[in-house]
Amino acid sequence: MTALSRRTWPFGLIARKIARRLANAVLVLLAAASLAFAALHLTPGDPVTAILGGGTQTPSPETIAAARHEYGLDRPISVQFGLYIARLASGNLGQSFSQHMPVADVLRAQGPATLALMASALLTAWLLAVLSIVFAVGRRTTAFARTTETFFAGLPQFWLAILLLWALGFELQIFPPAGNRGLRSLVLPTLSLAIPLGGFLARVMRDSFDLALHEPFILTARARGTPEWLIRLRHALRHALLPGISLSAWAVGALVGNGVVIEMIFSRRGIGRELFLAVMTHDMPLVSGIILFIALVYILAGIATDALYVVVDPRLKATRS
Amino acid sequence: MSPSTPLFAQSRPRHVRGTISCVVACAAAVLLTGCRREAHHVAPQTPVSGGTIVYATDREPVCLDPHVAGDMPQVFVAQQYLDSLVAMDDRGRILPWLATDWQISDDGLSYTFHLRRDVTFTDGTRFDAQAVRANLDHMVDPHTQSGTAGGYIRQYLRTDTPDDYTAVVHLKSPYAAFLEVLSQGFLGLESPRALARPRDVNCQSPVGSGPFMVQRWDHQNDIVFVRNPAYNWGPPTALHHGPARLDRIEWRFVAEPSVRFAALQAGEADVIDSLPPEAETPAQRNRDLWLLMADRPGNPTNGTLNVRRAPFNDVRVREAFVRSADIPGALGSVFFHHYRHAGGPLSPSTPFYDPAFEHVGDYDPARANALLDAAGWTGRTADGIRTRNGVPLIVHIPVRSSWPTADRTLWEQVQATARATGFQVLLENSDDTSVLTREQAWDYDVRLGYWNTDTADVLRIIFSSAFLGPPTGHANHQNAAGFSDPRFDRIVNDALTTTDQDRRRELYRQAQAAAAAQFLQITTYPQTTRLALSRSVHDVRLEPSLHVTTLYDAWVSR
Repeated sequence: MTALSRRTWPFGLIARKIARRLANAVLVLLAAASLAFAALHLTPGDPVTAILGGGTQTPSPETIAAARHEYGLDRPISVQFGLYIARLASGNLGQSFSQHMPVADVLRAQGPATLALMASALLTAWLLAVLSIVFAVGRRTTAFARTTETFFAGLPQFWLAILLLWALGFELQIFPPAGNRGLRSLVLPTLSLAIPLGGFLARVMRDSFDLALHEPFILTARARGTPEWLIRLRHALRHALLPGISLSAWAVGALVGNGVVIEMIFSRRGIGRELFLAVMTHDMPLVSGIILFIALVYILAGIATDALYVVVDPRLKATRS
Repeated sequence: MSPSTPLFAQSRPRHVRGTISCVVACAAAVLLTGCRREAHHVAPQTPVSGGTIVYATDREPVCLDPHVAGDMPQVFVAQQYLDSLVAMDDRGRILPWLATDWQISDDGLSYTFHLRRDVTFTDGTRFDAQAVRANLDHMVDPHTQSGTAGGYIRQYLRTDTPDDYTAVVHLKSPYAAFLEVLSQGFLGLESPRALARPRDVNCQSPVGSGPFMVQRWDHQNDIVFVRNPAYNWGPPTALHHGPARLDRIEWRFVAEPSVRFAALQAGEADVIDSLPPEAETPAQRNRDLWLLMADRPGNPTNGTLNVRRAPFNDVRVREAFVRSADIPGALGSVFFHHYRHAGGPLSPSTPFYDPAFEHVGDYDPARANALLDAAGWTGRTADGIRTRNGVPLIVHIPVRSSWPTADRTLWEQVQATARATGFQVLLENSDDTSVLTREQAWDYDVRLGYWNTDTADVLRIIFSSAFLGPPTGHANHQNAAGFSDPRFDRIVNDALTTTDQDRRRELYRQAQAAAAAQFLQITTYPQTTRLALSRSVHDVRLEPSLHVTTLYDAWVSR
């Protein structure tokens, strides 16, 4: 860093950083929107027939023409793309043609359910991972914990979901098998997503945790007579968190993807399910709306990760100032 | 077959009425239409008012207004909050409902409906001739995007309103099936004031005059209906007069079949529809449950053969393919013997169905082989596929991803049995719109589908030249076979010009004979409404025109 930038750091650097971040975010969103548009137009199929009904339909030619015109599907692709980007730029996500409502309303209705599931899955995964590494490192249980973590990390989420559904939903009837009424209905979908993710997180964090336990400062702490559980929780864990935090940014995206299947299996509402239906019907405005929403969540997760890094690791703060 | 025939309605004590209707139901089921009622529930108690029913269904409608698009989930919802101009009973007879009576002009072009004077929509709008006009105009308006309702009344010209309670509907050409399609919930009547709003607003909060009102639609979760307290104009097929017995209906969407059945067993749902075949035997054995099932009228679930290109441009190859498929065997293994084979072009519950064509295309591999030999498909590839002039006998079947898994398995069985005769059947999976695009371009040998409607006029839609679509370019065509025969066209068009029932029956017999002789479809099983219900739920009925659930009479005891 030059002397100049050092002097103006408090304001200039932060402003530049934020500007760069924002520009990046806009670029990512634009790319996501363009890719969604291209993908839907490259796959063969005419959305109008999907709009006008399912298996039993006899729409008149006038009806088909009217629908095509209403959604601008009778214009050249380039014009459609231009209008689409211009509309997005003005903040208008458009009207879903399969749901017969504004895309923003669909997101408002379905977004919270998916975000709640993602948040609870991520928290539960962290809880499982932290418990596993803190209580099973450097002891006889380590080998067992390692194996279990690898096993969990390898479980396909949909398979786990069906298993949990069968055991706890159908047979023991402890948790409701479907829907999104109350916290209890959140348990099975959360576990289906959180158990494999928890296994992943634990595997990633365990090595750093092991290394940290052999650092001199741990020895110092032990010499001071600090109880072992406190050493692990306060000193060693901090080192193990960093790779876990990086992984979490990726996990947020993975959760949305796997959430599609989980929402289908547990008949839960959410944007994953909505995305599946929208792709099936080539509902362009809805697909791009959902993809932009997911991209936004990704971007926010990235920012949150960076912030958490600084909080967890004081060394980062030190190098910057 | 429903216990709701007006003959027995209202006056007799419940259990007597129940017994009689049960006997009639069984007799009629065998004699008339073959409609099945696997278990009939006779309630010993007196109906009570109040309470909520949780109804769990598989698919969510895209719009609650059944005029828009027009898929089956929409008509199930519409049946709860809309009334129709006329009703159909279980023998296919048309009865008055919001129209008290009607006259048809001699040329079959004008229908004069006299309307009830005591009906109001739940937004306070009066039901009158203007409302009839607004609804019919709405269905045919291209901006409504109506696939079903508007498609069924393409003959509609205009409605005159000589006075407040007389509506004269003019048609462009005679359409004897007009009253039949009017009785379907797809053509239910909505408040004209509500219809005047933008289409997508009306989709979310439609207004009818029916026994329930749509209170809210929580997308992907449920629709809540509440009782219409003013309701006093139920259909003649109903079991009672006055407002509905239930206070509320929670209409939930539970897509996964096994989860839906589990919800019923756990008591979280009172009624589920689309009971999965694997759950049917457990449901029958469960003393806390009862089943309500009926075949839907129309064209059964089928694969339609494309006669426009080889190999199915040869009727011998078509017959060979139909006879090479062991449908009863496949149905037995895939659906646990719960689904019955439908062999003819019409489902048994369709008016003017003729059982004579049930076995025209029965499984007969020996005859199939002989036919293929005669048609010149005598060569064989190394793995046993027949060839003619070196070209292998390949059948392309595009399968849309929304096609039910069990039906996919069914076609895998067809694939296996047809293989034994020398057909190579390719099931080509793709997303719905891609399959639609191939269908529009006639790029298939077999198209999978079905058609639920309460009139034999469905034969005209699926096999007549008028539904071939434009001669060039990509467009929808309902006649998936590409079949075009002036004699057949004449029969089905003549059938629209007469309201004489015997004459119609004879013409539709000829139409069924002509279609069956051409081997245009492999028909598999009739579309069925399959409900499983808790024993604490009573008097849930299937409305006769499409066998759609109606909860108007339903009540709960708990």
